[in-house]
Amino acid sequence: MANSAVDPFLQGTTGRNTRGLLRLIILWFESIIHEFDPWFNFRATKYLVQHGFYSFWDWFDDRTWHPLGRVTGGTLYPGLMVTSGAIYNVLRLLSMPVDIRNICVLLAPAFSGLTALATYLLTSELSPSPSAGLLAAAFMGIAPGYISRSVAGSYDNEAIAIFLLVFTFYLWIKALKLGSAFWGALTALFYFYMVSAWGGYVFITNLIPLHAFVLIAMGRYSPRLYVSYTTCEHMSSLGVFGLLQLVGFVEFIRQQVPSKQFQTLLQSLIVAIFLVSVGILVLLTVAGVIAPWSGRFYSLWDTGYAKIHIPIIASVSEHQPTAWPAFFFDLNFLIWLFPAGVYLCFRTLKDEHVFVVIYSILASYFAGVMVRLMLTLTPVVCVAAALALSYILDTYLVMDSPSAEAYVNDRTKANSTTSGAATSVSVQQRKASSSTASESLRSTQDPLIGIYSSKSKLSIAVVISTYLLLFVLHCTWVTSNAYSSPSVVLASRLPDGSQHIIDDYREAYQWLRQNTPNDAKIMSWWDYGYQIGGMADRATLVDNNTWNNTHIATVGKAMSSREEVSYPILRQHDVDYVLVVFGGVLGYSGDDINKFLWMVRIAEGVWPDEVKERNFFTDRGEYRVDDEATPTMKNSLMYKMSYYNYNALFPPGQARDRVRNSRLPAEGPRLNTLEEAFTSENWIIRIYKVKDLDNVGRDHASAVAFEKGSRKKETTSKRRAARVLRVE
Amino acid sequence: MRSLTITAILFSFLPSILCSSGSNTSQPLNSRLILPSNFKPPQVFRNVNLVRTINLEKAYPRDMINVIIENIDKKPQDEYFLPFESGLLEKVGAFEVRDKKTPEREGFLVDIVEYDLQSPTQFYRIRLPEPLKPSAHQTLSISYSILSSLRPVPAAINQVDKQYLVHLFSAYSPSAYVTLKQKTKVKFPGTEIKEYTVLPKGTNTDGSEDPQKQGSTFTYGPYGELPAGAQEPVKVRYEFTKPLLHVSALERDLEVSHWGGNLATEERYWTINKAANLSSHFSRVTWQTTSYYNPATVAVSSLKMPLLVGSLNPYFTDEIGNVSTSRFRSGVREAHLELTPRYPIFGGWKYNFRVGWDADLKNFLRKLKAGDGYVLKVPFMEGPKQSEGVEYGKVEVRVILPEGAR
Repeated sequence: MANSAVDPFLQGTTGRNTRGLLRLIILWFESIIHEFDPWFNFRATKYLVQHGFYSFWDWFDDRTWHPLGRVTGGTLYPGLMVTSGAIYNVLRLLSMPVDIRNICVLLAPAFSGLTALATYLLTSELSPSPSAGLLAAAFMGIAPGYISRSVAGSYDNEAIAIFLLVFTFYLWIKALKLGSAFWGALTALFYFYMVSAWGGYVFITNLIPLHAFVLIAMGRYSPRLYVSYTTCEHMSSLGVFGLLQLVGFVEFIRQQVPSKQFQTLLQSLIVAIFLVSVGILVLLTVAGVIAPWSGRFYSLWDTGYAKIHIPIIASVSEHQPTAWPAFFFDLNFLIWLFPAGVYLCFRTLKDEHVFVVIYSILASYFAGVMVRLMLTLTPVVCVAAALALSYILDTYLVMDSPSAEAYVNDRTKANSTTSGAATSVSVQQRKASSSTASESLRSTQDPLIGIYSSKSKLSIAVVISTYLLLFVLHCTWVTSNAYSSPSVVLASRLPDGSQHIIDDYREAYQWLRQNTPNDAKIMSWWDYGYQIGGMADRATLVDNNTWNNTHIATVGKAMSSREEVSYPILRQHDVDYVLVVFGGVLGYSGDDINKFLWMVRIAEGVWPDEVKERNFFTDRGEYRVDDEATPTMKNSLMYKMSYYNYNALFPPGQARDRVRNSRLPAEGPRLNTLEEAFTSENWIIRIYKVKDLDNVGRDHASAVAFEKGSRKKETTSKRRAARVLRVE
Repeated sequence: MRSLTITAILFSFLPSILCSSGSNTSQPLNSRLILPSNFKPPQVFRNVNLVRTINLEKAYPRDMINVIIENIDKKPQDEYFLPFESGLLEKVGAFEVRDKKTPEREGFLVDIVEYDLQSPTQFYRIRLPEPLKPSAHQTLSISYSILSSLRPVPAAINQVDKQYLVHLFSAYSPSAYVTLKQKTKVKFPGTEIKEYTVLPKGTNTDGSEDPQKQGSTFTYGPYGELPAGAQEPVKVRYEFTKPLLHVSALERDLEVSHWGGNLATEERYWTINKAANLSSHFSRVTWQTTSYYNPATVAVSSLKMPLLVGSLNPYFTDEIGNVSTSRFRSGVREAHLELTPRYPIFGGWKYNFRVGWDADLKNFLRKLKAGDGYVLKVPFMEGPKQSEGVEYGKVEVRVILPEGAR
């Protein structure tokens, strides 16, 4: 192991270059923060750098969740911001003034490099073959499942969290192997860092105790486990902690009184106690005594849960169950090497291999439930696939044919002496397995195996190399096509092949930033909250930190109700501008009309009497925007704002929506309480200004009618007065 | 509004040479001259003949005064004063005086005279290069611009409407001396002049209509002998459907890198369009349909920046990242940076941005023959060239020399 420690750095160079290249493809565009959440993280980091750590901790952000505000300092995971803040300060100390934005943009690729290193270390702990670690690091470096979260500009918690995850696991294995309190303490340290960095930390908090528990249940208690686990220390982990103390005590007794039956009895007793306590825990959680888990976690157990109870969680595409092709898309050939790797772990079932087995089972389940958790699966897939592949390579890439004599010699040597310089890696592996053979499965007691024919060696080598090459091609393709475009910027190609960039989001955000009062409140669907906060620097009603469902539902209600209902809501929330995303001109499908049903559902969850999803569907159950759209749909604020004045772009009666591919009604919607303030070049962003109350005290509908010069209709006077918002 | 100091610096600086060795060859920046509060320009000159041209073709009026002055004193004199109302003085930019006979020679030295801050009149002092002998004549060519002085009336118009500007001035040229004969020409950008002041008959010497129209040029005068400080207010309102682009602040950094052999220029602009505001909100439909015909508009939809030939790697960004709508044409003879702001800048709208580019340092830097010094020669200002002109409120130019330069 020791002599191979240098190799990866020599051999890994090419691998690292590839990784660097892949991640920096994003810089084709520019140094820009991507997506939605990173914008908030970026803003928070800027705040941290400007105001220092303590005021960051006490940061009350009145620019979001108007009029509620958000206690940001206490409700975020500070690990990411503190990390980049620290890097910023260290670089300044070294008199290298670097823009904080560049640090934030490049943090993720930098940490992914570290992740590759951590994967190498972890895999090396699992396999005696040096190639396994290298392969794992290389896979980790280019696997699209991980690159998706670690491209430059993806300044999100996951960027550093995966490194911390893998590294914590490495430290844990190391601690477990050595039984060292030092490594245990390091594990605890990184564990703490992880907790501060990502909500996914519960994964570790449960995986490590589970591992410890399984080891005990398998009867593999050892002082090493005791030392490492007690050194590094949540809900269920506390239970295992108690259990471990118990087992420690019993083991101590057993050493005094050796009795096989007594031991079995005790162990089953302990398992029973554990199960009972877990049962109590579950009961308490259900009864609401212990802080209940958030809805996101519930959706992990019951995939249907979110759809029924919490539409806001289900509305996020990242929280959808994973489709089968996604596994192949993100992991390519690793996915079918993965079970083989797990199988190999069973063959040499040491403590650390048990860990990989547990990890892979849990991660596979979670990745299946939520697209987002593909991320936690990726490391173990890389590790397991590397184990499998290195095993194959080690077996097939040995030039000389094995001989029975040498094998027998080895075997006897291995049995007689505990240590010795291994001649070849495959032999070492066999030896390692043979030493544990007596304890593990019978099938793992390997007979003499080896490849004699150089033809088969060659063909396997060719096939494996082809797979590896294809994998690299696939990763490059996926990365450059699927994960490299910052979603604020859409790239397209002009007929002449030159690149055309559609930059409507930033056009509108910049307009807001420059040409609206500094204290203007912008209402939009929550998806754009962080971006408006970060790029337009204006106060928003709701944002991507979806902590207050009612407030989001209020916005949903304002969007999905008639103007007469919405206007009081807008006034009550001091809204100055309303922003909607409309893709009809360009055929941009991620627009608000397509997200509209979620707004309706979320609003319906809070006001079931006032907003009804059914009313947005036609009698035949279709969701339509054309002539046949339901009156509720046509009168909703969202519909009106999206299609206002859209007819004017087309010859009369020819207006088409390119996303929903339908012809729009000949007469466009009329807006009374809002006026169009800005529409971006490709109409993706439309901003409306909320009108002030009429000077002469008329309602807006009659004021607009008067302006148009049309006669006051009889019906207007008969219409009921605007409904008043029920305020709780 | 400290445009005055800036533009004064600008012109005294233009072929500016800044030395890394420390000897700054340019004039000290403090150009305000303080005189006793009872100051009155000595009546040592008289204007024999004066022709003033007010050019309204750009987004700011440019005055050009050609005047023959005569020394009526007994001693040679070299200080000629030009009065401005105190409010106006702040807005005067690009003040420049040359000898009409030798226009190729460098401009005369000019200072702002400061004596009594409460006084309604302030002065520019023009220092003649050689004192003018008694009863000798000299022809001066004085030119200046008055920034932020044009006002759109009506102040808010529709997106496709024409814009009309109002300019107020005096039919008599500002003068601290007796003027024997003068006239004022007004050059309009077009023929659509909605309003203009007609002076009563007999004001001018030839008794004809005042002003006299000739195409897009109006002439007030000629007038006979007038005392110092005589005024006759005139108001004109004319069509000008172009942006009034105002750079409220410009920071320009020139960074010399000896290591990289690179001269990096970065300019940060804070701009606002002072044209008539939109009376109703911006309509994209109208913008899209009308931009097809490319009509006159008050909105700024693009900025053209001619760069020095050999400029490289230009960038155009704002607070939220790269603005993808820029185009750089670079060739052997030209380097043009065409910027399209994220949105058309209508009247009252603001837009902040930064542009920057690199250039090979060896075209700007040479080593002195003696000693360790280097001479850096760079343009004081570049910036967008618009047909209607751009005005600057405040300009800050910084030259960043390599670490350790003395």
